[in-house]
Amino acid sequence: MFWLNNKQKKWWDFVLAMTEKEIKSRYKMAVFGFLWIFLNPLLQMLVLGLIFQFFVPIKTINYFEFLFPGLLIWNFFSYTITKNTPMYINERALIQKAKFPRESIVLSIVFSNLFHLLISFLMFMLWTLLVREGVDLTRWLVLPIAVGWLTVLTSGLSLLFSSLNVKWRDINFGVQAIMPLWFYATPVVYTLDLLPKWIERIIYLNPMTAILGLFRWSIFGMAISWEPIVISLVMTLIIFVTGVVVFKKESPFFDDWI
Amino acid sequence: MENVVKNYRLFHEKATLIENILGKSKKEKFAALKGISLEIRKGEKVGIIGSNGSGKTTLLKIIAGITTLNSGKLLTEGKIVSLIDLSAGFHPELTGEENIYINALLAGMDRSEMKSKIKEIIKYADIGKFIDAPLYTYSSGMKLRLGFAIAVAANPDIIILDEEVSAGDEDFQRKSMKKIDEFVREGKTLLVVSHWMDFLKKHCERIIWLDKGKMVADGGMRILNRYQSGGKNSG
Repeated sequence: MFWLNNKQKKWWDFVLAMTEKEIKSRYKMAVFGFLWIFLNPLLQMLVLGLIFQFFVPIKTINYFEFLFPGLLIWNFFSYTITKNTPMYINERALIQKAKFPRESIVLSIVFSNLFHLLISFLMFMLWTLLVREGVDLTRWLVLPIAVGWLTVLTSGLSLLFSSLNVKWRDINFGVQAIMPLWFYATPVVYTLDLLPKWIERIIYLNPMTAILGLFRWSIFGMAISWEPIVISLVMTLIIFVTGVVVFKKESPFFDDWI
Repeated sequence: MENVVKNYRLFHEKATLIENILGKSKKEKFAALKGISLEIRKGEKVGIIGSNGSGKTTLLKIIAGITTLNSGKLLTEGKIVSLIDLSAGFHPELTGEENIYINALLAGMDRSEMKSKIKEIIKYADIGKFIDAPLYTYSSGMKLRLGFAIAVAANPDIIILDEEVSAGDEDFQRKSMKKIDEFVREGKTLLVVSHWMDFLKKHCERIIWLDKGKMVADGGMRILNRYQSGGKNSG
């Protein structure tokens, strides 16, 4: 990356090396290896789809097909944040012994999970191309934006929770309690048109709503209302900035608390 | 590179422990270092002594940039490599070579530097065919060798040593001492925390004595004798 100066290049090298380490070590001793990144959402899709297809009427596409990309995205989000929250405590050996950019620990988890998400997503897209008719490829141009948005949101929350968890270990329990609730507060298994109109403004306070909406708009051509997306965008910015500010304030003193 | 003078100035207190017990807001402050000012010049070999809990490691951690001051000022120049724990960044599931990759970056090398030095590191570590095996199969001595080989290859300007230099087998000790002597001859700055007096006598020319976060003495080798006799008197 030639437009970066020396220091930035070194920073990226380090973050990428940490990410590589994360990816390499994850499935080292697992027989199925990389298959797990596909197997996991597939099983979820089967179980959730079996039940919820009777509650959620979706006419245009198969319910299982509707469910799958949403689960991939939700799993990335929840798995990354749940894993990242206690990360600075888990990596205390490293923090107490070496000087390095502290954010690289959290970012390496985000990027390695993103890598897995992209692989399974590409496989899903390939399947869509083969099976579905009338796919609007121009809409796929929005996908990188949606992925970028998802990454920013996830990084911001990861930085926020992991930094706070160094001082207040309650955060970890809180995140574990909130994540299953957040799943139902996000339209993963249902669509927004099933909800009354007044609730729409509120549910867009959850940025995941807009992100999932964008994905479904570009893959399935499902309708999306554009105005409330701004609410999600503002929320994402607030979350990200708070995360970065809290991290910058706390990270020089991580060593004192772990 | 103009790297003539290194200034370290530390002032006032550093609170390391503030406990908040369930809303009772019972706060306890503990100052590990209470107003220490010192300046270490390039090429000096400094030994830091003091009883357990006197703030030696805290001082090294501040200099290495692992933790941050609560007040005061710190100025460093040049590449610092801390040998506080040589195997800190090792991942047990990855192979030796994969671990070199991440730890070399951790020690301050960049990617191209690491690539050009990887053969040298493997050769110096001298752990044979284990280099392709996952790290959990290594003995602790092998991990130490690998860690030291990486730290040495980083070619630091300032070297920070904790007690660990005295670990490892005789062959490794000889090898690491040789390398440290080499660094000393090259005019690199050396900072050592140790209770191993013979090592300090041999390698240092300046001794800083810390006690309960305060500097008791700063000066030549004679402090070592004072410290040792003082230690005996007090039991």
